[in-house]
Amino acid sequence: MARAASPRRRAAISVLAWIVALLIFFPILWTVLTSFKTEAEAVADPPSFVAFDWTLENYFVVQERSDYFRHFWNSVVISIGSTIIGLAIAVPAAWAMAFVPGKQTKNVLMWMLSTKMLPPVGVLVPIYLIFRDVGLLDTRVGLVIVLTLINLPIIVWMLYTYFREIPGDILEAARMDGANLRSEVLYVLLPMALPGIASTFLLNVILAWNEAFWTLNLTAANSAPLTAFIASYSSPEGLFYAKLSAASTMAIAPILILGWFSQKQLVRGLTFGAVK
Amino acid sequence: MATQHSRSAARLMISPAVILLLGWMLIPLALTLYFSFLRYNLLMPGTNPFVGLENYSYFLSDPAFTAAMVNTLLLVGGVLVITVVGGILLALLLDQDIWGQGVVRILVIAPFFVMPTVSALVWKNMFMNPVNGLFAHLAEFLGLSAFDFLSQAPLASIIGIVSWQWLPFATLILLTAMQSLDSEQLEAAEMDGAGPLSRFWFIMLPHLARAITVVVLIQTIFLLSVFAEILVTTNGGPGTASTNLTYLVYAESLLRFDVGTGSAGGVVAIILANIVAIFLMRMIGKNLDA
Repeated sequence: MARAASPRRRAAISVLAWIVALLIFFPILWTVLTSFKTEAEAVADPPSFVAFDWTLENYFVVQERSDYFRHFWNSVVISIGSTIIGLAIAVPAAWAMAFVPGKQTKNVLMWMLSTKMLPPVGVLVPIYLIFRDVGLLDTRVGLVIVLTLINLPIIVWMLYTYFREIPGDILEAARMDGANLRSEVLYVLLPMALPGIASTFLLNVILAWNEAFWTLNLTAANSAPLTAFIASYSSPEGLFYAKLSAASTMAIAPILILGWFSQKQLVRGLTFGAVK
Repeated sequence: MATQHSRSAARLMISPAVILLLGWMLIPLALTLYFSFLRYNLLMPGTNPFVGLENYSYFLSDPAFTAAMVNTLLLVGGVLVITVVGGILLALLLDQDIWGQGVVRILVIAPFFVMPTVSALVWKNMFMNPVNGLFAHLAEFLGLSAFDFLSQAPLASIIGIVSWQWLPFATLILLTAMQSLDSEQLEAAEMDGAGPLSRFWFIMLPHLARAITVVVLIQTIFLLSVFAEILVTTNGGPGTASTNLTYLVYAESLLRFDVGTGSAGGVVAIILANIVAIFLMRMIGKNLDA
């Protein structure tokens, strides 16, 4: 709808849009600003926006007192690990469903989607007890398993919607030229599918990074990723705004940046291809 | 095109995903169902006798269940109304020709990438805290008395926090749908003398209907399971004022260690989610044929 609007109208709408956008973004901005304040300035009334003594102290204190990087590393291992394993399982499945569709393909896809709709709390008790009995509670391996499984349907679906757009004729042509299945996949399909796989990877890392039901319920001190680490600040002794802000900033910054790169794929991934 | 050979290869490639998901679904489900018929408390080890539907009647007749159901409906409904209406308005705004459109979009989308525990704690401490929160400072500045959001209006506050997280999602999807609208259609309507309101009502809204349905259904799936936001802000309280079904089942199973009752609650949650899921599956299934 980008029609040439009158300059005045354009200016008015632009100002309005910027005000609304800044209001929505404000809590994040405020968190980042507060992370550079001293604790006294963080609760000062009236609050100051930029005219305070900027300090990096909170970041060092958070790391020193609560070993931030261990939790950061847990988040990295869990989100990237579960995504890579998920892709390894899902790429062949999505490839087969997109290029060799059978009578049951649609039913299989729909059924996979239906597993995503199972509310986590409905299976919390058995998973918790099984994990306790086999020693997976509070381990990264345990969380990687759970997050792989809960996100597998999304990975399969996203890949499927991307693979389906690759023209099958190209594969035909490659086959006519004598390509076997292996070179067909390696030299024809993979280069064309790579953008789709990359977006799927990105979106899934974001989802896994922010997952906050299983990570809170299945971890304690050892394997807690950032979601659970931050939750420990909900206790009263954690009421140090500047440190809470520093920890929060470090927890969201990497994923915020990844997220901005993947905003287009987000729509497609989270609506299972229903809105593109 | 598909030979016998490629068919069996395809089946082989699909089976790991299917088998894993089948196991992930069936084993815990069967166990939840099984536990829900037992008197089973982790604090009282020993035999776990079969008690039939006792857990269900206990769970369903608990006043906390009624409260949790009402809270769940209010939470899901409240967030849906705020995000869909707000999302349409925001999408309309972002669809205009504005300066720095890319940056504005990035700012608006950002909250979606903030992990639930961070957004809940930031809102709880830095904004809603009755002494040191920004809202308290603002109230004082305006000469009003500070309001203790999370103890006086816990559910509404949580609805606010969750809406902030989901508004970008709704906006992004509605904006994507809006941009696929043929602008000639709007221009033709304008030439025929249709005002902005009637253009929105008769052309834009019907075009958005499908995207709105998708937003509602997908958000409902996630909103039924809101957990972290409640855990770190109110712990479901005061009393049960902000306990939803997910939190109640969690409290029953992992705080009170009553596996039997918790499992019965889990089964109830599954049944409720399935009702929503059926509608969503139909929508997406239709799209698959197209």
